[in-house]
Amino acid sequence: MTADTAGRASVSLAANGIHQTLGGTAVLRGVDIEAPAGNTVSVIGPSGSGKSTLLRTLNRLHEPDSGDILLDGRSVLRDDPDQLRQRMGMVFQHFNLFPHRSVLDNVALAPRKLRRLSADAARDLALTQLDRVGLKHKAGVRPATLSGGQQQRVAIARALAMAPQVMLFDEATSALDPEMIKGVLELIADLGADGMTMVVVTHEMGFARSASDAVVFMDQGKVVESGPPEQIFDAAETERLQRFLSQVL
Amino acid sequence: MPLWVDRRAERRGKLFGLAATILLTCGLSGALAPPAAADSNQCAPAGINSATVLPKDLIATGPGTQGNYTTATAPPLSSVNVGALGLGTPGVLTVGTLSDAPPSTCINAAGQFTGFDDELLRAVAGKLGLQVRFVGTDFAGLLAQVASRRFDVGSSSITATQARRLTVAFTNGYDFGYFSLVVPPGSAIKDFGDLAAGQRIGVVQGTVQEAYVVDTLHLQPVKYPDFATVYANLLTRQIDAWVAPANQAAGAIRPGDPATIVGHTYSINEFVAYAVAKDNQPLVDALNSGLDAVIADGTWANLYTQWVPRTLPPGWKPGSKAAPAPTLPDLAAIAASQHRKPVGPAAPKSTLAQLRDSFFNWDMYRQAVPTLFSTGLPNTLILTSSASVVGLTLGMALAVAGISRSRWLRWPARVYTDIFRGLPEVVIILIIGLGIGPLVSGLTQNNPYPLGIAALGLMAAAYIGEILRSGIQSVDPGQLEASRALGFSYSATMRLVVVPQGIRRVLPALVNQFIALLKASALVYFLGLIAQQRELFQVGRDLNAQTGNLSPLVAAGLFYLILTVPLTHLVNYIDGRLRRGRAAVEPEADSDLLTSRFGQEMT
Repeated sequence: MTADTAGRASVSLAANGIHQTLGGTAVLRGVDIEAPAGNTVSVIGPSGSGKSTLLRTLNRLHEPDSGDILLDGRSVLRDDPDQLRQRMGMVFQHFNLFPHRSVLDNVALAPRKLRRLSADAARDLALTQLDRVGLKHKAGVRPATLSGGQQQRVAIARALAMAPQVMLFDEATSALDPEMIKGVLELIADLGADGMTMVVVTHEMGFARSASDAVVFMDQGKVVESGPPEQIFDAAETERLQRFLSQVL
Repeated sequence: MPLWVDRRAERRGKLFGLAATILLTCGLSGALAPPAAADSNQCAPAGINSATVLPKDLIATGPGTQGNYTTATAPPLSSVNVGALGLGTPGVLTVGTLSDAPPSTCINAAGQFTGFDDELLRAVAGKLGLQVRFVGTDFAGLLAQVASRRFDVGSSSITATQARRLTVAFTNGYDFGYFSLVVPPGSAIKDFGDLAAGQRIGVVQGTVQEAYVVDTLHLQPVKYPDFATVYANLLTRQIDAWVAPANQAAGAIRPGDPATIVGHTYSINEFVAYAVAKDNQPLVDALNSGLDAVIADGTWANLYTQWVPRTLPPGWKPGSKAAPAPTLPDLAAIAASQHRKPVGPAAPKSTLAQLRDSFFNWDMYRQAVPTLFSTGLPNTLILTSSASVVGLTLGMALAVAGISRSRWLRWPARVYTDIFRGLPEVVIILIIGLGIGPLVSGLTQNNPYPLGIAALGLMAAAYIGEILRSGIQSVDPGQLEASRALGFSYSATMRLVVVPQGIRRVLPALVNQFIALLKASALVYFLGLIAQQRELFQVGRDLNAQTGNLSPLVAAGLFYLILTVPLTHLVNYIDGRLRRGRAAVEPEADSDLLTSRFGQEMT
């Protein structure tokens, strides 16, 4: 089974010349990034480099000041942002599950309300997605009773239930206990292997090296260097990337 | 599982506390109640045997003049066109009256408005072929409500003074008014001449007694909303003297009460009459016709003898100048034959007995509880729940507007909240009830409930709006982000994700607000209630006025406690639960049930 439960094929995602100012600070200063259909692009870089902002600009949680965003080769800046976000799943560092709803409802809510599925169909879909992340047996409980790793799996299932064409991961394992990280990363890697187009902001260099088609290194609101993982990790050209890698590896 | 045991014990402890609160109050009252001693009912005709002679000091002051305002004749009944009386409801005389001023106007044990003034008006209306609907209100607002035609007629021993004629028109006189000076026994105050600055002199606000103390005696009185409250303050020595209408003074004082009438004086030579809106001369004429008719057929004399038997001042008679003089029994002779002792401390009770009788009279409870249960409780619940719905709806709108990015939503919400949170509840009720009331009388049919509910709801909305806003703003911004990222619109995000979480956090504060609203619902009595509309407080207050005993109010208080104490404990429970979090993992079946039951609800 692929990520494409609704019959949507994965598509390419690209951003060109994105500028973004937040609270008077230029957070993104002309960022280009490209994820061909089915590819996994990892974004690495020091804190405050603009990685998370870039991710939120891609699905227009922040509207870029200038530049363009292309989904399947077509600009999406004039689309209805709510419609656009239904096509782009997002997973957060702190999971952000809805604490007042059961695990099942967390996953079934958006399909039922936004994809207009019947309660039964949404429930079946949610159970399928929960099964996929190995948590079908937790469908009835509240998220607060789950471990961090389990919560993040539910968050991934919640995003997948909308059958997105692209997935965005914002430091999805940064808030997890070490023993939980591996399982979640494997789940994300499996998704990529199944052909999902993904942009993954991560501090896990092992994942970036082994599971990515391309790696983008950002610093101070700009893409400093990008390329295949081997090139980034083994043949860094810029001094800044070399220094970064020496600190994190 | 020590934790489980602890929690059970804790809950049992709470339940016990709750039960103890109720039992203690009830038990105390039961234990202290005197053996079935029927209280004198002040809202029933005293009968001819209670006849009194006009005090000598009163007559010495000089005879009253019926002045230029008494009409020479009254048009014959047959000439009255009932369709042209300008009544709020055709065929029905809507009468603003007091529920607590026996023997003139009061509510009796059967929940009917009665008393000399109201019974006489009933008879007058009967002559005119009109039905009568009595609505209890408070004296300070009565004339304004007559002037604005909220009521067709005002009936409550209203003295027709010059000042009042600027606001309303009056019928011919049906009674004469004079004041009594009531003081505790042994007081240094022996007559009106002894009243001086520095004494606390009680009056009812807006009455001629207040005007007399201020304008004639040039003293500053202590003002109360109703007669029962002034009298209760005199009994407990909170005031030094009460300047009272003679009828009410004689009616209030029961044998054994620590209160004595020491002096009398005339009001400023004006008679007692019904008030009508100034521009409604046809109704004044019609009531004058009816009044002359009930004087002619002896009804006036009959009612006067039953309710307020006392000799007439020389030269005074009711009705128009052409009305026949009423034929009364020889009241002076009857009064003399009764050898009535002057009302006073016949058998002084000990302070403890006085307290016990005032608060814990078991008979009073037996009398009060059925009415409180059948009339007061449903009305209080209707008022509170309706106002809660208004308050929650509007409060939610205010909360959403308050966190909006548009200043055109934020500012009005801010201003609204500042105003309605900053005003005393009474002011809001009076402004909306008496100010807005006449403007929407076509819509409300002069029913005070919609206005009372609106006033309470508008007030509650200001608080609820702030509570909800703080709740919504306390929800983690990540929730908004996650919901928007899924593709939900801002409004769907608010509705499905943010607001439900926000409300959960402020549930204790909301329940507190509900309790406050429950208590504030007592204030609708300011707007005038017919007997069936009275809520808990008004029922208690009326019985209190009818019997001169505080026990009905204590009984009403118990009803409030029965409603509020469980809610208070509910708040504590919710609060504790929110703080501790949910109790462990729930069984899955249970949760599935929740899903299917509540899953669709927020759609």
